[in-house]
Amino acid sequence: MWGKFGHFLYRHRNLEGILYVVPFLGLWGVFLAWPVGYGIYISLFDWNPLKGSKFVGLANYVQLFHEERFWNAFANTFKFAGMTIPLIIGLGFLFALMIWGWGRSRRGTVTVQSILFFPYLLNVSIVAIIWKWLLDRDFGLVQHTISRIFPSAPVFLTDPAWALPAIAFATAWWLAGYRMVVLQAGLEEIPKELFESAAIDGARPWHQFIHIIMPLIKPSLLFTLVLTIISAFRTFGQVLMMTEGGPGRASEVLALYLYWVGFDYFQVGKAAASGVILLVLILILTLIGVRLLGLKSELQ
Amino acid sequence: MRRWWILAVLGVSLLGLQVWAADPIKLTFQTLFHEADAQAMEQIINMFNETHDGIKVELIQGGWTQYYAQFRLSVISGNPPQLGVCHTNKLVEMADYLTPLDASPVGNLLKVAGIDPDSYVGANWAAGELGGHHYLIPLDTHGWGLWYNKDIFAEVGLDPEKPPQTLEEFIDACERIKAAGYYAFHPAEDAAPRKLRRAWYVFFWQMGGQLFDKDYTHATFNNPKGLLALQFLVDIFNDFGWNKPGSNGYSQFAAGQLGMLVAGNWYYGTAVKSGVNWGYAPMPNFFGTPYTWGNSHQLVIPLQPAGTSKDVYLAATEVLKFISENSHIWTMYGGHITAYKPEAENPELLASDYWTKSGKWLNEMAQKGLVHFPINHPKGSELEDAIQAQIELAVNGKISPQEALDRAEEDCNRILAGG
Repeated sequence: MWGKFGHFLYRHRNLEGILYVVPFLGLWGVFLAWPVGYGIYISLFDWNPLKGSKFVGLANYVQLFHEERFWNAFANTFKFAGMTIPLIIGLGFLFALMIWGWGRSRRGTVTVQSILFFPYLLNVSIVAIIWKWLLDRDFGLVQHTISRIFPSAPVFLTDPAWALPAIAFATAWWLAGYRMVVLQAGLEEIPKELFESAAIDGARPWHQFIHIIMPLIKPSLLFTLVLTIISAFRTFGQVLMMTEGGPGRASEVLALYLYWVGFDYFQVGKAAASGVILLVLILILTLIGVRLLGLKSELQ
Repeated sequence: MRRWWILAVLGVSLLGLQVWAADPIKLTFQTLFHEADAQAMEQIINMFNETHDGIKVELIQGGWTQYYAQFRLSVISGNPPQLGVCHTNKLVEMADYLTPLDASPVGNLLKVAGIDPDSYVGANWAAGELGGHHYLIPLDTHGWGLWYNKDIFAEVGLDPEKPPQTLEEFIDACERIKAAGYYAFHPAEDAAPRKLRRAWYVFFWQMGGQLFDKDYTHATFNNPKGLLALQFLVDIFNDFGWNKPGSNGYSQFAAGQLGMLVAGNWYYGTAVKSGVNWGYAPMPNFFGTPYTWGNSHQLVIPLQPAGTSKDVYLAATEVLKFISENSHIWTMYGGHITAYKPEAENPELLASDYWTKSGKWLNEMAQKGLVHFPINHPKGSELEDAIQAQIELAVNGKISPQEALDRAEEDCNRILAGG
C-alpha cells in the first residue's frame, strides 16, 4: 500500500510540496487573508449588521479624502515614521557595531547586550507608562532634568511640536534592541578575512565600513527596515497611552484615527477604508525599501 | 433480578434529576468597572451567588475605553453577556444593542420582576427611556466635586471647614494658596483632554450655556458665554498662575502640593490613601448655577440572540433587581451615589466614612439636580472629541480661546451635517 502511495507521491512531486504548506496556508487564510479580504469588503459598506449593511461603493474612501482630520493623521504617520525609522535602525546599528567591535568574548559584552535588548521584552503599555511618567510635567525625571538644564524646555507631551518626537524617542528606546540583535548577527556573518585583507591593502576602518560592512549587511538591514517600516506605520499603543493623539490632534496617527473611528464612533466601514489605505501605504513603502536597497535578487 | 433493574433505573433517574436540578442558569455580567468600582460590584455579585442556588453570575470587569465596542461586537456576533452596563448618555448610541426591558421577547420584564420606577431617582429613571421603551435600570449618579487640602487652607489663613462656594471666595482662596507657594487649583483631575472638556462644560453650564440646539442641528457654544468659560479655564493654567498646563491634579493633590482639585467621587480611595488631610465640598458656584459634570451608570440586558429562553431573561432581571436593592454597597465602596432611593437611606451607608466625608455632598448635588449629564446623541463621542481637541490646545496656550471655539464649532457642525 505504501509502495503505491509512494509511487503516487513520486508522480505528483509538486503535490507533496503543496501538502507541506497546507497547514500554514490554512492558518494564514483564516487569520490573515480572510480578515484582510473581509476588511476590504466592509470598507465598501455602511456597516451595520443589526439593521442591515448598505453598499456605498467608494463613499467611505471619498469621505476620508475630504476629511481634514484624516489628512492630519496621514501626515502625522509620515512624520512619526520619518523620525522613528532612522532612529530605531540607527540606534540598533550603532549598538550592533559597538558590541561587534568590542568583541563578543570580552567581559561585560553580554551584560551590555542584555541591557540594550531588555526594553524590547516589555509590553507596549509598560513602555508607554514608563515614558509617560518620565515625561510627566510635575514628577517626571526626564522632564525635570531637561527643564533644569534648559529652563525654557518644552513640556514634551503637551506641546504639539514635541509630542510626536517624544513618542518616537520612546519607541526607539523600546525597539532598537531587537534591531541590534538582528544586525549583530548580520555582522558576525561577515568573514573576518575580508577585513584582514582590506587592512593589509591599507583600507581604513571607514573604508572597511563602506565597502565591506554595508554591502554585506544589506539582507539584515532590509529585514530590519521592513520590520521597522511596518511597526512605524501601524504605531498605536504608545500614542494612545502617552497622548491619546493630542495635544489637539498633534500626535494622532492613522492607526489611532482608525481606532477612534472604528471602536469609539463605530463607523466600521470608514475605519476599514482607512485600514485599507494604511495597508496599501505599508506595502508600497516596503517595496520601495526593497528596491532602494537593491535586494530584488536576494528576495527571489 | 427485576427488582435490581427497577432500583438501578430509579437510581440513575434520581441522579439525573439531581444533576438537572443542581445545574444553575449561568449568566455573564460584563462591566466597565475597575479598581474600587470593580471590587464593590464583585461584593454584590458574590452576595448574589451565595444566596441564589439557581442562578450563577460570572462577572467580567475591565477598562471602559473599549467597553462599548466590545459590547456592540458581542451582540453582533450573537454571543452577548446577559447583563451589562451603559452610561446614560450612551443610550442613543447603544439602544439598538439593548433589550427593551418593557418589551422584551418574553414580555415586560419590569412588571414580571416587580421593578418600581418610583423607587429610583426620577431623572435617572427617565434617562432610560427612548422611543417609547425603557432600556436602563439606574444604578447610580457619579460626578465631580471639590477636594481641598485642609492643612494648606489652615496654613494660608482659610477656614478648613468652610471651603469656597462663590467666585469671590474662590479667587481669594486661590490667590492665598498661590502666594504660599502651592499649586492653587486644578479644575480637571489629571488634565486628560476629556477632563479639560468637562471642566469647560461645568463653567459653561453654570452660565446657563447649551452646547447644541434642541434638535442637534448645530453647535451653540461659540458665543460670549462659551468664550468666557474657556477663557477662565485657560487662565487658571496660564494667566492666573493657579496651575500649569499639562499638570496632573491627582498627583499634585496626593503629594500635598495642590490646594483644591475638581475630581470625581472615584478619587476617594486615593485621597484616603494619600495621607493628605482633605475635605470635600460641592462644586462652587462660579457663574450662576452651581452645576457639576456627572453621569449615571445604568444596568442593562444586552440584546440577546433569538431563542434565548425566558428563564435567562427572568434570571437576568432578578440580578438587576438584586443589585439595586443592595446598592448601598456600591456607594460605600465604589463611591457612586445609589439611584435606588430606599438604599440611599441605608443606615450602614449613612454612618460610613465615605458618606459623611464626601458622599453626602455629591448626593446633595444630585438631589438638587445640579449634576449635569453629558450630551446624548448618536454621534456624541465624535462631537466631544471634536470639542476636546481644541479645548486642550487652548489650555496649552497654542491657540486662542476664540480660535478653539471657532474650530470646535466648525467641526461639530460638519459632524452634525453628516460629514
